[in-house]
Amino acid sequence: MKKNIPNLSLYVILIIIVVVMSILNPSRFPTISNFRSMAYQLPLLAFLSMGMMITMLSGGINLGIVATANFTGIITALTLRALSGGNPTEASALVILISMVMGVIAALGAGTLSGILTGYLRVPDMLATLGTMTLLNGVNIVLTKGYTITGFPKSLITIGNGLLFGIPIPFFIFLIFTFILTIILNKTVFGYSLYMLGSNFTAAKFSNIDTRSIILREFLLSSLFAAVTAFIMMGQLNSVKANYAESYLLVAILACFLGGVDPAGGFGKVSGMIVSVVILQVISSGVNLLRMDPFFIRAMWGFIIIAVIAINYFNEKSKTRIKMVSSN
Amino acid sequence: MNKLLKQTEFYIAVVIIILSIVITIFNPRFLTAENLFDLLKSFSVIGIMAVGVLFVLILGGSPDVSFTAIAQVVEYVVVIMTLKWGGNIILAFLIAAALGTLMGSFNGFLVHYFRVPTVIITIATLNIYYGLLYVFSKGQVIFVVHPMFRDFANIKIGSFINQNNVAYGFTLMPLIWILVLFLGWYILKYTSVGRNIYAVGGNEVAAERVGINVFRTKLFAFSFIGLLSGIAAIVHAAIVQSAIPNIIVGQELNVIAAVFLGGASVFGGGGSVIGTFLGIMLFAIMNNGLTLLKISTYWFNVFVGAVIVISITISAIQKIRQEKSRIKIHIEEKAEDRV
Repeated sequence: MKKNIPNLSLYVILIIIVVVMSILNPSRFPTISNFRSMAYQLPLLAFLSMGMMITMLSGGINLGIVATANFTGIITALTLRALSGGNPTEASALVILISMVMGVIAALGAGTLSGILTGYLRVPDMLATLGTMTLLNGVNIVLTKGYTITGFPKSLITIGNGLLFGIPIPFFIFLIFTFILTIILNKTVFGYSLYMLGSNFTAAKFSNIDTRSIILREFLLSSLFAAVTAFIMMGQLNSVKANYAESYLLVAILACFLGGVDPAGGFGKVSGMIVSVVILQVISSGVNLLRMDPFFIRAMWGFIIIAVIAINYFNEKSKTRIKMVSSN
Repeated sequence: MNKLLKQTEFYIAVVIIILSIVITIFNPRFLTAENLFDLLKSFSVIGIMAVGVLFVLILGGSPDVSFTAIAQVVEYVVVIMTLKWGGNIILAFLIAAALGTLMGSFNGFLVHYFRVPTVIITIATLNIYYGLLYVFSKGQVIFVVHPMFRDFANIKIGSFINQNNVAYGFTLMPLIWILVLFLGWYILKYTSVGRNIYAVGGNEVAAERVGINVFRTKLFAFSFIGLLSGIAAIVHAAIVQSAIPNIIVGQELNVIAAVFLGGASVFGGGGSVIGTFLGIMLFAIMNNGLTLLKISTYWFNVFVGAVIVISITISAIQKIRQEKSRIKIHIEEKAEDRV
């Protein structure tokens, strides 16, 4: 029996799409500037998907992730404005740091709410995070009165917008956090516990895992990724608003699913999820360069998901058939 | 089980009554027929869709999120068709229902055939339906619709005059909502397909073993939410009298939240039309109350979110207490055995 490479079909799909896009648009797609712009856009969805993945591994879901990111951004922006005396673009380093810490605290607060509801009160994730999401969206609208808040210090914008050795800084942050998440999920007790919780909750409970605290910590970590998303988003858009990136919520769930994260929990690798985010990004950039309608990209995403589901389904089917034949 | 469901509905009804009393104390205009007619009218669109959402939730607890996109596509297509070829409102409803059923059944087919959670498939089809609508419509808003929509919206049952000498009446839009509620209630309670939906939601394998056609049951539920989305689309077109390609999409999670609030189970197999109606009414009254109390509508989401969080907390604590007392009885029985 040959050793299976996990998510092989995803790598194949990625290569096919890159080749097709390059053939369709040889002058613009395989260029450094295009890859740079993809590296610039990719981290946003990647961070949201990572935050989503952490909760999906334990069999849950975090619908409040985009709302948490916006909440973080808004709290950071408002603190910045309050502490800098109405001149946020000239804020000192200390003020910027305090504002960002406040933003992270806000995110952790949101995570605590979801975590207590799901972990300690055993409310199903979908319901609990739907509640937190609605609540946070409301708070976001009330805090901003529906307006956009703009004007941030240069150093804060650099996080999302800057270049280092010609490579966008958010891409470096993305690499670092991907590494950290891989370590957390594969090498720590917390990571193992998450997978165990997802594959068999009762068994995990009886093997002396404190399920409640694991779930709480899972939501805190998930919210932390939302907070990082917020800082990158602030730099890239130079503004915060109550409803930025709302369409990314469902796409993040898709990216996880496409990357082999089982919605029922217990299975999924960071590498698979990242490849699927890259696939979505390549499609979106490629279609964009062909000067097609940006909404065509959304439709494409939908078709690709169904195609992947179909491929997986028929793969599984043929595998079981082979097994049945060989066992006979 | 049944008792617990009844409890959820009972609590929402109590909250609605208290809320109504509070609002009436501060602004007596709340309890006027005119205001209530208005309230029913403006929530009839999501009210109609919510009944479909309930059907899919009973089926397995995983929500369909594509129904807003279905309604959006149907609204746009039918508005254009009627502008081009005319026709009448009944034909518009029929075409809308057929289109909606078609898109809904496509979802049902995919969900059953590939055995993937409903939410995943419908996120994909949401993007397909909505994306393609935008590609073909180029995002253009249609400001002028066929006069049949206006005529339909102006039909009133009974005509009254308020103190400012403005005529008002009970329009057909909320009436359609009420009919849909009755239809949904009847199907779930008295037809075999309705009972099958509960059975499949409760335990799919067991349902299959006792000879229920699971595929047909699922296909029915998904076609039904498509059908209702189509009907809701025409009601929406009649209310706003324009077709804006992004006005319905984006509300899906709010509708789902209202249905969950109305007692639909996240594990499938539970939920009722009355609960769903009360869930939507709670949203409607909160929204209306804020306007009447002159509180900025920015606060709407905060209140809705708070109500959801508080209600799930209370029911969770109740459940934990029940379980604890059950364990206690169990232990006491054991202790007696030993004596």
